[in-house]
Amino acid sequence: MKIKAKLKGDVVDVKAMAKHEMMTYDVAEKKTGSRDNANFITHISATVGGKIVFEASTSQFLSKNPIFKFAFKGAKAGDEMTMTWVDLKGNTVTDKETIK
Amino acid sequence: MQRRKFLSLGALAAVAAAVPATLGAEDFRKSKPDVWTAKTVDDAIAKMYGKTATKSDAITLVAPEVASNGGQIPVDIKTDIAAKTVALFQDANPESAVIVYTIYPGSVVDYSIKMKMKKSGTITVVVEGQDGKLYSTSKALNVALGGCEG
Repeated sequence: MKIKAKLKGDVVDVKAMAKHEMMTYDVAEKKTGSRDNANFITHISATVGGKIVFEASTSQFLSKNPIFKFAFKGAKAGDEMTMTWVDLKGNTVTDKETIK
Repeated sequence: MQRRKFLSLGALAAVAAAVPATLGAEDFRKSKPDVWTAKTVDDAIAKMYGKTATKSDAITLVAPEVASNGGQIPVDIKTDIAAKTVALFQDANPESAVIVYTIYPGSVVDYSIKMKMKKSGTITVVVEGQDGKLYSTSKALNVALGGCEG
């Protein structure tokens, strides 16, 4: 995951790109012959100091390598943000980034 | 052995400590699986919230009028409504639900996401307010090149 988290005033602006095919059921059927090969991120979240600051449940209709932009208050520069996603097949990726 | 026991206890304690931190986290794909298989926007909203939404000017929804690439449509969602969840739907793909954001204390509803659309259609944002009401806004967009094939 590529994460950029920047504090502006009291708001942290985050831009995160998750590297993922985001293969829909239709594409899976077309390319591999089976809808069971579909795979996409189903849940993504971010925490700072153990508190959730961002959470989304997601579908197959996000773009390939989807970019999530979001904002939150209550953190300061130097805090570490942890982001985790899970996909349909159960793969999970966690990355950390310091808020600048 | 003693040390191992102590360490495993420590690991358990760490897990126990981590649980309250994730309290409130909700994966709507698990808690509301029907939302994600609903074929129409109205049905998806009904499955998600069990009621209908009223149009609101307090939500800003920005997307291009004409999307040249249906595989990468940028969508911006903003609102000052005190919200519990924010959900994005569309009527061009086989199923309607795109993404559901859960709002936490400190969250600023200022989201951008890139979505896929197979053909031209209408996207709808529903904001579930802390007052329990549903607010929505929609936008029609033309898709030049469908994005579910690539």
